[in-house]
Amino acid sequence: MKRLVKGTVWGLVAVLVFSANAWSFGRKTVIKVGINAPITGDIPKVGEGTKYAAQMWLADIEKAGGIEVGGTKYPVELVIEDNESKAESAVKANTKMITEDEVLVIVGPQSSKQAVPAGDVANNYETPMITPWSTNPDSTKDRPYCFRGCFLDPFQGPVLADFITEEFGFTTAAVLYDVASDYPKGLAEFFREAWEKIHGPGSVVAFESFTTKDTDFSSQLSKINKSGAQVLFTPQYYNEVALIVQQAHELGWTGPIVGSDSWGSAETVALCGKDCYGLFFSTHYAAAGAQGATKEFIERYEKTYGYTPDDVAALTWDSLRLVQTAIENTGKITGKIKQDRKAVRDALARVKNFKGITGDMTFTEEGDPNKCAVIVRISDKGEYEFYKLVCPD
Amino acid sequence: MRNRTTTSAPAAGFRSRLRQFTASVPLIGWLLGIFGAVLAEYFLGDLVSYYLGLPKIPVLFGLLTVLKKPLLIPGILGYLVLVYAIPVVIIVRIMQKPANRLAEFLAGKRVTIAALVHLSLFYGALHLWADISDYRLLVLKLTMIAIMLTLSINVINGYMGEFSCSHPGFMALGAYTASTITLLLFANDKQFGPALLPEALGFYFFPLALVAGGIAAAVGALVIAIPSFRTRGDYLAIISLAFLFIVKSIIENLEFVGGPRGMSSQPDYANLPMVFTVMVLCIWIINNFVRSTMGKALNAVRDNELAADAMTVDTRRTKIITFLFGAFWAGVAGGLFAHVLRYVNPGSFGIQRLAEILAMVYFGGLNSVTGSIVGAVSINVLSEALRPLEIYKWIIIPLLLILVMLYRPTGLIAFTEFKPRELMRPKTTKGGE
Amino acid sequence: MDLFLQNIVNGLQWGSFYALIALGYSMVYSILMLFNFAHGDVFMVGSYIGFGVATALLGLAAATGLPIPGWLILVLTILFSMFLTSFVGMFIERVGYRPLREAPRASAAITGLMIGIILETGNLAILGARRLSFPQLIESTTYQLGGVFVTNKKILIVAVSLGLMYLLHRFIQKSKWGMAMRAMSFDFQAVPLMGISINRIAPLTFAIGSSLAAAAGILYGLAYPVLDPYMGILLGWKAFVAAILGGRGSILGAALAGFLLGFIEIFVAWIFPSTLRDVIAYSIILLILTFRPHGFFGQAHSTQLRL
Repeated sequence: MKRLVKGTVWGLVAVLVFSANAWSFGRKTVIKVGINAPITGDIPKVGEGTKYAAQMWLADIEKAGGIEVGGTKYPVELVIEDNESKAESAVKANTKMITEDEVLVIVGPQSSKQAVPAGDVANNYETPMITPWSTNPDSTKDRPYCFRGCFLDPFQGPVLADFITEEFGFTTAAVLYDVASDYPKGLAEFFREAWEKIHGPGSVVAFESFTTKDTDFSSQLSKINKSGAQVLFTPQYYNEVALIVQQAHELGWTGPIVGSDSWGSAETVALCGKDCYGLFFSTHYAAAGAQGATKEFIERYEKTYGYTPDDVAALTWDSLRLVQTAIENTGKITGKIKQDRKAVRDALARVKNFKGITGDMTFTEEGDPNKCAVIVRISDKGEYEFYKLVCPD
Repeated sequence: MRNRTTTSAPAAGFRSRLRQFTASVPLIGWLLGIFGAVLAEYFLGDLVSYYLGLPKIPVLFGLLTVLKKPLLIPGILGYLVLVYAIPVVIIVRIMQKPANRLAEFLAGKRVTIAALVHLSLFYGALHLWADISDYRLLVLKLTMIAIMLTLSINVINGYMGEFSCSHPGFMALGAYTASTITLLLFANDKQFGPALLPEALGFYFFPLALVAGGIAAAVGALVIAIPSFRTRGDYLAIISLAFLFIVKSIIENLEFVGGPRGMSSQPDYANLPMVFTVMVLCIWIINNFVRSTMGKALNAVRDNELAADAMTVDTRRTKIITFLFGAFWAGVAGGLFAHVLRYVNPGSFGIQRLAEILAMVYFGGLNSVTGSIVGAVSINVLSEALRPLEIYKWIIIPLLLILVMLYRPTGLIAFTEFKPRELMRPKTTKGGE
Repeated sequence: MDLFLQNIVNGLQWGSFYALIALGYSMVYSILMLFNFAHGDVFMVGSYIGFGVATALLGLAAATGLPIPGWLILVLTILFSMFLTSFVGMFIERVGYRPLREAPRASAAITGLMIGIILETGNLAILGARRLSFPQLIESTTYQLGGVFVTNKKILIVAVSLGLMYLLHRFIQKSKWGMAMRAMSFDFQAVPLMGISINRIAPLTFAIGSSLAAAAGILYGLAYPVLDPYMGILLGWKAFVAAILGGRGSILGAALAGFLLGFIEIFVAWIFPSTLRDVIAYSIILLILTFRPHGFFGQAHSTQLRL
């Protein structure tokens, strides 16, 4: 017994003395990039796309031996935190990455329901943050340290309203959305505003809602069916889209159903099946028929992970490349984290005409890029077909 | 055989000597030791961690790093020994006699004064410890809030013996009321526009906002307290569960508090001294409450309501006061929670939070203030420490809880009284040494 | 009027799930005087087992080239999954509840909650975070009766759940085991003295409850074909509300209250703005319980709570 204790103690001491760590005194400056993604929770496919895109980016950096700033190459480390697709966890994850891991810059969270509150944390701690996929205006509004990689809902709502009016010539619409989530709620309201501006007040004949985690929408859809609406707009995430579309068809809905960029996940068609064929939604880029760098990215992603990247992956990729450009543009890394964060933030704000795979980007005062929206049609083979490009004037 | 007896004798001797030594040190001695260790970390921590090859000072005793980078384990062990263990042992050894004399002196004073001395020493240690990283500070504050929540639910579920599921609802009411007050009056924000009162006043009004949150929660508790006259047990559990769903849904529908979006940018009032003071007050008052005749009446109601009624316990009054009292502290804790995270949304107060609170109170032990504190601290620290395991964390923590339930069905430390004076008494060894 | 009838149909389908799950709660309660909080997750596990069985059967049919019709696969899936899930229930009873039979009831409740969390997380760890799409075993056809739309799936779901409830009723009223269970629920201290072992009745109860939950899980998969590890939580808690609303330990009450809860939710969403659904639906339940404090079919319990 005694010998055992003694042996263990001496063994530990020996390990302590001879371990590689004991002799590696100096601390290297490592550029840490935080990723705040919904790995578990309601929309895990979004988290997966984020993670894969980030890993692809890291592989590129590692191949190049790090990010070169002012003549020195710094190694890069990714800190990936799961936000469980919950607002509170996103706030906690951001706080943890900023204070504990001391990341230089954060990419994420993806959905507005998390990006709006998490952006507040980043801004309070003066840490630059880019949310690739959050379209709600509040994510970046009055927050100098917050940026985004996509268009905004006040733009997307009218784009969809215009598209439906031109394409189908309809005058009445119904909306079904999740009242407990920031993104659908915001977009539903922007859509209604835009639609009623075109067709007069009262032309959104049904404005129905449900709560996150609901699976039965029969009551709301029955109401919509009888309301005389010609088109159903539902800005939901992919797991709900499948249920809504199928139930609508079972309850006798025959009109078109139109969605927003949250439909753009690789999983939508897998879950929804034939019911979703022929439907339209707006998104950030169309994978089918892409050219140049976009095509390269898609092919590489397909080869590595076995499926076509969705818009989240593409936007995350763009955001990370944007971060890389900004870090390179700072000119030097001091190792003093507060100073470096400020430098990266300023460099991000200065970025002009960044060539991204989802379009060119220049940030406005608010930290939002001016980007075009793509209308996509789900083809009869379940692919996302490019249908139309709508750009802001 | 003989071999074993000879070798185990000194070991047992060492152990008993250790026990004798620890038994002879009063609480204040330990606090002094901890203070010294924290002081050592404050000034030498960076240097020591540098020479041990650690990337920085281990934040939560290295618990986070151990699972992520096992190669650093020797470094972390060395750090713990050098920075925490050795100073504590040295100081406790040196201070044993003076500490006992101090404890004896304090024992002669009033409890409040003695407690204040202990608490200020403890607070000093916590403050220095938390000063090293913002992350520590956050974990510490959230743990303190968890202690308040656990204590307040223990009053209802433990001492009164109901199975109330509405605690997240009370918390939500408190969080929203307090946030509305501070945001409306003292902050320029998106929700309510410019501040109505000078911002400098805000911090002093913050306790009032917390109390208002507590009162809002207590008023909400009436919805449950009144039906509790006629029914109890499972039916009351359902009523409280329905209450939780209703509160959450109402807040989601109230556009002026942000609906599902929630409210953010609460002013930074909930600093460590504030949270610590409120927590100490909470422990103090709840401990006095459950040790008063009221507490005895509560236990009587739990064990047999009819008999209690026959013994002139006013059961209705007891029930209503207890519900309001428990809900009040949950509301205060909710107000603090909102100001610590500086963000609040209805989604934070759902079934998941309920499971967390229930886990803490039943893990720690019913009917026990100490148990609640132990439960809250251990579950909180565990869930931070096991973070690197990602989802497996939520397999290990429930497993642990099940094991505790199987071996100690009433929780770790149940049915004990928390006596501050007993805790602080001097430990002069009579005989023995 | 059309809308009213349509919502009756919707409510029937939605209520079936609550009713089937509430039965499991209620049965366990009547024997052991405690609620199995892992039941919602047993429902989830049942659904996943159903997914596995159905996929395997479809694969078998494809591999052997046998023209097995979809409805046969469905029947086999339901039977197999009910059988398999009953073991999950018995396992939970053995590990989580039997050692705690003499402990405070709340401890057992916590154990149940924790087992539930382990089931959810275990599923997430094993199968990953992606959603599964439940195979559509029968082609969905929509019939239009007047202005009311009814699908064959809806009819099937309601019919199967009503059938299962009837079978359960027969079993409890007529069989020897059923009689033992009724006796046990009447007095669980005296009955073991008559030679009926609670260690046999309790697992049986868990097995039956879990198999009903599995059936509910498969029917749920047919109606709402997106499976995720957390699907059982909310449904489970709401079914728990239904079980209590029916009067604890009352089988008939639990089934009726399940349908009632379904109807309340559907109709509130129809009549009022749907954002207010939860507020109004649960206020109604709160009112019911305030005025009928022991549910619909329960008696005021004089036995002392074991807490």
